[in-house]
Amino acid sequence: MATIENAHFTTLKGAYDTETMEATVKVRRFNPETGKSRFDTFIVTIPVTATVLDALDAIKDTCDGTLSYRKSCRMSVCGSCGMRVDGGAALACKVPMRKFVEAGHTITVSPMGNLPVIKDLVVDMTPFWDKIRAIKPYLDTKNADTPAKEWRINPADTALIHKESLCILCGCCVSECISMESDPDFLGPAALAKAYRFVGDARDKDTRERLRDLSGAHGIWDCTRCYFCNQRCPKGVDPRDAIAKLGAESFKEGFTSDAGAKHAKVFVDSTFKGGYLRETELVPKTIGPANAIKDIPFALQLARAGKVPNPLSPHKAKDNDEVKRLWKLLEKEAKGQPRRATAVHPDAVQEG
Amino acid sequence: MQERYAYYPGCLASLSQKELDSSTRAIAKKLEIELIEMPSVTCCGAGDIHEAKPDYYLHISARILGQAEQSGCDTILTICNVCTLNLRQANMALKEDAAVLNRVNDNLREVGAATYQGGVDVRHLLWEVSAGEGYERFKSIAVKSLEGLKVAPFYGCQILRPAKILGFEDSDRPESLERLIRACGAEPIDYPAKVKCCGFPIVLAREDVALGELVQPLEQAMDAGADVMVTPCPLCHLSLDAWQRKAAAFSGREFGIPILHLAQLLGAAAGIEESELKFKRHVTRLSPSVQAKLQVPSVVGTKV
Repeated sequence: MATIENAHFTTLKGAYDTETMEATVKVRRFNPETGKSRFDTFIVTIPVTATVLDALDAIKDTCDGTLSYRKSCRMSVCGSCGMRVDGGAALACKVPMRKFVEAGHTITVSPMGNLPVIKDLVVDMTPFWDKIRAIKPYLDTKNADTPAKEWRINPADTALIHKESLCILCGCCVSECISMESDPDFLGPAALAKAYRFVGDARDKDTRERLRDLSGAHGIWDCTRCYFCNQRCPKGVDPRDAIAKLGAESFKEGFTSDAGAKHAKVFVDSTFKGGYLRETELVPKTIGPANAIKDIPFALQLARAGKVPNPLSPHKAKDNDEVKRLWKLLEKEAKGQPRRATAVHPDAVQEG
Repeated sequence: MQERYAYYPGCLASLSQKELDSSTRAIAKKLEIELIEMPSVTCCGAGDIHEAKPDYYLHISARILGQAEQSGCDTILTICNVCTLNLRQANMALKEDAAVLNRVNDNLREVGAATYQGGVDVRHLLWEVSAGEGYERFKSIAVKSLEGLKVAPFYGCQILRPAKILGFEDSDRPESLERLIRACGAEPIDYPAKVKCCGFPIVLAREDVALGELVQPLEQAMDAGADVMVTPCPLCHLSLDAWQRKAAAFSGREFGIPILHLAQLLGAAAGIEESELKFKRHVTRLSPSVQAKLQVPSVVGTKV
């Protein structure tokens, strides 16, 4: 353990008042030369207004110059200092230290997840950028009707992609994505939110191709809806909601052959056919009858426990004709509407 | 805690996970709360309808909320994480925008359905019995101590995240299940994956990805020495219980850990019988030692 008497703050000199506090910070270290990891604990004196990033700066300036991490703007704009604070990904420059110090709590700082560690808190962002590139992160107007001057968009159209446009590519959502832990090839929350930013852009003319690609393997239907991405995003992008919007747009374009889309369709159909989910239709309609037959031994395990409802008498809710009429009404209404007309998310941007 | 709730068991508890419905009704009776039926409700859409047909999702949710309102209740009681998130999400969207609510109500009226005025809250059983008066009331009916039973709490995702829609407790360090496990006289086991995912939403469409997710909580709970796991969500339950053997084959490791619904754990501590808790409806059966620790009357003798 290293203790320092820190009288001056290189990066903070003159910026804040001088009231200070003593903070203890545990940092996960990784040495690429030896391939070994360890935890170091530092005690530093920092201003009461300091963030986790300020604490790391104090450690690096006065205690251990070999500590490695990324940083740039120090104001939650550049997206460089993504790392885990007590296990949850965050921008180090956005997390105040004071609440931890006052609680007598030693924070643990570690690198982001789902990305290879290069040294200490620095991760290799290559897989992250590869996925961003894979979704074509640029406007494709197919050269159609390009205006001679600037391209004017009405506020209602920009509102549709406002949240997704807030992304600063920090990787905090990717760090926590559970489907990526299980399938490293999953495009993941950052790339998919970026994809929606273009799918939802009124000027983009590549919509069908984009949605076709996104609704295939390792795409939108890989998302397990754990909502860690929404929870961690420091800018209120809500990537999971963007993925749901891509699902809705895929349905509108008729890209419903993926097992994930078929799964969703059974839920939709069940409601207006009867009310509750038709569980016995879910398996054969999602994975196909041939695969369902292969799964018969598993189905029998469930049946023995009484977990297979009688397929011949599916649930019928009372007054379900209302729902049938509702479905027809909305389908009729949707036909007359332009694409991108619907999105149901409590949409207020809340920065985490 | 309310005296009466509009009860929304959701699909799974009404169909394949009936043991959850009967345990919930039994524990509600002990807690002296009245559950009002809503015979005309549909599925909440499980996130699937939200994703495929968001406008339709909003309307069927408003219809469910409207029916609760018609029944004279101001709170819907849910027993499923996915129902909780989906109904709360739609409720928030309807309440925060009067124009949206008006349009939805116009459509509901047109098809002859009850409209929704925005006066209903959606709350999970876990929230109602783990704090405040509900917690005190549960402690007073927890007559049996499940001493020696080591219980791994598994929260699942959609009762914690996104916190701006759920927000009952710290989504990274929740304590409600631990509090209830202690109130049952049992011992909560801690492990990091208790707030992670069971993989259920994609277990059919992406089985390998889902099993990779499911293995984490199973392995960690076993390694931490748990006798059983408990979850507030019937989807997590189905994944942890029924897909457990597939997870074992996937990971090359034996599990065999029984999974309890929250209402079953509470019910066991309240002295409710097997005829209502229905542990025999689990795919992963209770071992004799767990049966002994749970002390559920007449649970012994079920065929394994």
